[in-house]
Amino acid sequence: MFHKTKSVLATLAATAALTTGAFAGSHAKLSGDLVIFSDMSNPAPRAVMEGMVERFGEMHPDLNIELTVIDREAYKTQIRNFLTANAPDVANWYAANRMRPYVDAGLFEDISDVWEDPELADLASTKGAMTLDGKQWGVPYTYYQWGVYYRKDIYEELGLNEPATFEEMKSNCQTILDSGRKCYTIGTKFLWTAGGWFDYLNMRTNGYDYHAKLTGGEIPWTDEGVAKTFANWRELIDMGAFIDNHTAYSWQESLPFIVSGEAAAILKGNFAVPPLREAGLDDSKLDFYQFPSINPDVELAEDAPTDTFHIPSGAKNKEAAKAFLKFVVSAENQTLINNGDNLGQLPVNAKSSVDDDKFLKEGFEMLSSNSPGGVAQFFDRDAPAEMAKVAMEGFQEFMVKPDNLDKIIDRLDRAAQRIYK
Amino acid sequence: MFPTPIEKSSRTWQLSYQALLPAALVLWLLPLIAVAVFSIKPDADFTTGNYWGLPTSFEFVNNYGKVFFQSDMPRYLMNSVLITVPTMIGCVVLSSMTGFALGVYKFRSNIWIFFMFVAGNFVPFQILMVPVRDLTLDMGLYNTKTGLVFFHIAFQTGFCTLFMRNFIKALPFDLIEVARVEGVAEWKIFWHVVLPLMKPALAAMAVLIFTFIWNDYFWAVVLTQGAESQPVTAGITSFNAQYRAAYHLMSAGSIVAALPPVAMFFLMQKHFIAGLTLGAVK
Repeated sequence: MFHKTKSVLATLAATAALTTGAFAGSHAKLSGDLVIFSDMSNPAPRAVMEGMVERFGEMHPDLNIELTVIDREAYKTQIRNFLTANAPDVANWYAANRMRPYVDAGLFEDISDVWEDPELADLASTKGAMTLDGKQWGVPYTYYQWGVYYRKDIYEELGLNEPATFEEMKSNCQTILDSGRKCYTIGTKFLWTAGGWFDYLNMRTNGYDYHAKLTGGEIPWTDEGVAKTFANWRELIDMGAFIDNHTAYSWQESLPFIVSGEAAAILKGNFAVPPLREAGLDDSKLDFYQFPSINPDVELAEDAPTDTFHIPSGAKNKEAAKAFLKFVVSAENQTLINNGDNLGQLPVNAKSSVDDDKFLKEGFEMLSSNSPGGVAQFFDRDAPAEMAKVAMEGFQEFMVKPDNLDKIIDRLDRAAQRIYK
Repeated sequence: MFPTPIEKSSRTWQLSYQALLPAALVLWLLPLIAVAVFSIKPDADFTTGNYWGLPTSFEFVNNYGKVFFQSDMPRYLMNSVLITVPTMIGCVVLSSMTGFALGVYKFRSNIWIFFMFVAGNFVPFQILMVPVRDLTLDMGLYNTKTGLVFFHIAFQTGFCTLFMRNFIKALPFDLIEVARVEGVAEWKIFWHVVLPLMKPALAAMAVLIFTFIWNDYFWAVVLTQGAESQPVTAGITSFNAQYRAAYHLMSAGSIVAALPPVAMFFLMQKHFIAGLTLGAVK
């Protein structure tokens, strides 16, 4: 045992020596100021950000790191401002189409050279999300899975199993409805929750590639595939699967329904778990399953929104910024910042280890082995912001008045023609 | 007289008035009460849907402790003081002088300059958002407390000048004439004759400006970003987490942020009411 540890240590030392060798150049030279603007404003992410700055600072004692943490919502409006006016060296943002406005405006630096580093080969699963126009514009630091979180105790009481097909999903739902409950809770007040349902229904009905083309503007909303997706959605709506008056609730306000047992499940990202646990749903009452397959001919694909770091093109200390980005995605740092005490999400580096948490493990398993179709970012990150808004308004309207579908499709089609022009 | 004073109405009406008033008051204050109650609830009460019931556990110390010791709240509060007090002083000083000049001296275009001050009040401030942001950026005042103070002084001076000029206009002009006959210098007239008479107006205005600036959210969001310069109104949103809003902490933070203007109001109630009506009479 002791010998084993020793050999591991030796390997580690060797790796460290190699790594240090590779980084020696940049190690010695990094100096000056490194200004970081971050939107990691809640307590846990904030501590993670501050911890990373501290550890990076210890590695580079000559570097003076200035960290500004901005409220996450305010950040979304302020980023336009500071990227042009007062650019930091490193800034947080999101992957895929959400970064397109800044890439197109030349405000984010092309960092394809960082991605050529062999260390970043372990980030292959998220490389696609960081790539626009064949170049990479940032690095990911965390992501999380989406899926159906359900009340295990209710399923057991009714003798139901996790559904694998749409038929099972519907028959389960009918049983739940007959027991006087609703199948799914949802709060569509802020629209995006309905986008999650559309993502999954469309990816399961038509596949990831179709979904990517639709959000990318290559397939019109009048296409037959979209109609099939809405038809599937309508089946659930007509059954009464969703809670009533969902347009009045935010997603947090929709949680009491699953906590009280008035609804049996919620389609949501993994961030729903901590509040549900706090509210008393322990692992014997709360469980997770992958959204079931609808069309057996298409491969399963998942939503896994990715949060990122970028270097603004106006940055003054790009060398230090690139070193920081490499530090962020390193396997060791990824394991640390994504564990349950910190972000409690999934590491982006394949060599990192996942925290010992039921939902994270299931999520990591699902994303790494059972999502052959691809990994989408989420509707409002995959589609351009303007299109996402119009479309999600349409989804919300459809969930309340499914008979308006033709009008909604027509509206989306006209918006698409204007936006993707 | 309309409305009829309550003392002069019939006894039954008086009784129903007395019964309805507390009910209406509670109804009107309901949102505030909800915020106050939420500020002592645990986070889980929101997820379980316990919006209006009693707190499942009493978290006063915990929530307010977090607000004061584990967030940037104290810093935001300090920023608010450092923005509000200089603005208050700046506005009072400038507008008492402009008010004196416009109220006492008869010169050509006096009325037009006065109108310009008044007209400034008619500009909806939202349309100034982009130019003011660019201006502060060019001046290097973007994201500083100084920038916010300068802008507030500039913008509030219009209203304050109207207020002061009307007040000085209402003073007996004979006092100034007498002083002039005695050969007192103009600035001494301002300092020794007019300023002491303006004390009620100065106090009323200071109170009004304090509450206006303390409660300002718009410019705080437009001109500042981050804990080093933002006042507390904008700082409360920092309890909005990445995925969920910490409503219990936000409630506690709002209560703390609302205390200074409320305290100001109760301590200076007389001046506050005087301030609201002073400009209106003339």
